[in-house]
Amino acid sequence: MLEIKDLHVAVDGKEILKGLSLSVQAGQVHAIMGPNGSGKSTLSYVLAGRDGYEITSGSITYKGEDLTAMKPEERAAKGIFLALQYPVEIPGVPTLTFLKTALNSQRRARGESEIDALGMLKLVREKAKSLGVKEEMLKRALNVGFSGGEKKRLEILQMALFEPGLAILDETDSGLDIDALKVVAEGVNALRDPSRAMLVITHYQRLLNYIVPDRIHVLAKGRIVAEGGKELAHELEAKGYAEILKETA
Amino acid sequence: MSARTTDALAEAIASEAKRARPSAWAEARRAKALAAFQAGGVPHRRVEDWKYSDLRSALSSPAAVVETAPAPAPFADIAGLRLEIRDGVLRSDLAKLPPTLEACDLSQLDAAPDWVRAQFGAQDAKEMAAASLALMAGGVALRVKSGVAVEEPLQLNFTSSSAHHARVLVVLEDGASLTLLESHDNAAPLANLGVEIVLGEKAQLTHLRLAHSAETAVQVEEVAVSVAAGGAYRLHAADFGAKLSRLEVAIALTGETAEAQLSGVAVTADTRHADVTTRIDHAVGNTHSTQLFKYAAGGHSRTVYQGRITVAEGADGTDSRQTAKALLLSPRAEADLKPELIIFADDVKCAHGAAVGDLDAEALFYLRARGIPEAEARGLLIRAFLEDAVSEIENEALRGAVWSAVEAALARASEAAS
Repeated sequence: MLEIKDLHVAVDGKEILKGLSLSVQAGQVHAIMGPNGSGKSTLSYVLAGRDGYEITSGSITYKGEDLTAMKPEERAAKGIFLALQYPVEIPGVPTLTFLKTALNSQRRARGESEIDALGMLKLVREKAKSLGVKEEMLKRALNVGFSGGEKKRLEILQMALFEPGLAILDETDSGLDIDALKVVAEGVNALRDPSRAMLVITHYQRLLNYIVPDRIHVLAKGRIVAEGGKELAHELEAKGYAEILKETA
Repeated sequence: MSARTTDALAEAIASEAKRARPSAWAEARRAKALAAFQAGGVPHRRVEDWKYSDLRSALSSPAAVVETAPAPAPFADIAGLRLEIRDGVLRSDLAKLPPTLEACDLSQLDAAPDWVRAQFGAQDAKEMAAASLALMAGGVALRVKSGVAVEEPLQLNFTSSSAHHARVLVVLEDGASLTLLESHDNAAPLANLGVEIVLGEKAQLTHLRLAHSAETAVQVEEVAVSVAAGGAYRLHAADFGAKLSRLEVAIALTGETAEAQLSGVAVTADTRHADVTTRIDHAVGNTHSTQLFKYAAGGHSRTVYQGRITVAEGADGTDSRQTAKALLLSPRAEADLKPELIIFADDVKCAHGAAVGDLDAEALFYLRARGIPEAEARGLLIRAFLEDAVSEIENEALRGAVWSAVEAALARASEAAS
């Protein structure tokens, strides 16, 4: 589903990804772990199509299509979803209005029929309940005044609403306590599907106890330096990144 | 380069003005105003208060009057009382007004009742306010008597196609209240309006101003307000710029618990210029003022906000807040924001903030990454930015009228800059 081949990415003229290759099949959950500064967020932003990230060589294909030429809104319509590490606060834009506008923009781009306000409210209520997203949050401005946990839960609510083919979760666990983490993980696990691929980007092993991956990739200094099954996470926790990097150098 | 001096331009303006017939009781005031105007001349950029809005330059090179389609009357769907003023002269029949609202046609100064003679032009005026007093073609004076609440809003709809000066006087006696809706559709090379508002104790005036001008027109309006103890003045001003458009609001809070709440938006495109300059004088303590102005400037346009707050010695308990923010929608747009605080008392709360910037790139990416196309995402963010200023308008229908005008202006302002 997602095929990244020898990707080199520069930010402000400095090369951050130095030949990253990765392949994720539908139905799988892959984790990307790595020390700070390894390029984890760069990878997620490049996949989402953010400005300022220059692909100097390599390719990214999603379901066989070249992603790199597509604008962020086009990628979203194709089914790419990036849950941000720091969800943006947007004063003046009510959450429910945003959700409806976004969903309908994607549907329009795909030639599907749009959903009306009442239908949207119903749909959101269904999905919001299990994630503990309170209805009054939906009336407030997007992410404004939300706690860290509430912001992350709203990201997962969006994932449930947009039903992406590829979901990238960028350090979804950062800033969360155990209880919030469990709620978020349950929400993510509920969205596992044979037609969906997930990339879970995390610094700590803890999240992977709750969202158990099929495969783990270790990203360091802009490249994948180690790969393994879920046990690799425990190995990393026991030994630390420095050890593993030495072993694979 | 023109050989004209400031005085010559002022003289030309004075000689071209179609003045209302002189009337004995008003002559001294008008003569004094004329002398003041000619002595000071037309303000220009070397006058501190006009440094961002060079009126002399704008008037020195008048463009040919361009036939433009009239702007849709913004308050057309609002029920209430209406008065039409064309090129500074009242065209409506005052007999149609309810008895709660007294009115006087200022082009007929001879017929002015005592309350007009007492207040009209009573305050010292300078610059363009002096010009409007001396050179007015006409205008309207309104009075609401003690304790009377005029239920229906009153529209003053100004249309202009030739150069003129006009005056408005609004007197609300103690405990009176009125909602005033002021609209401008201006295609004149100079439309100069001077407004005097006198609010008695506990009187309340809600004032909504919406001004449209042709790109070649010049619009100047100076509003002088005095608010007595317990009185309240609320203004929302929506402006869309002109060759040069300047709204000056000077408010004197003269009694305890008097308050002024000002809000406004300006959305400008092409080469338009919009200036809102406010002066609020907290002359006594326990007075309260708030200001919230939001601007969106596109094309090569320029927006200006100057807000001076003066707190007199002994005016303890003054609470004054002021926020002005401008969003630049194109690389050649400009915003100048200048808050000023002159405080002589000790126990006061005075907060002010001003910021100019462009749309938040993070927010824009977030919306696009969720599928919202770029143009729509920009539109959402711009409207979100303007929203709190427009929400200061309590009445939903009026808020809707302002949003419609803002939407139309945003469509032009958001077009890619050349």
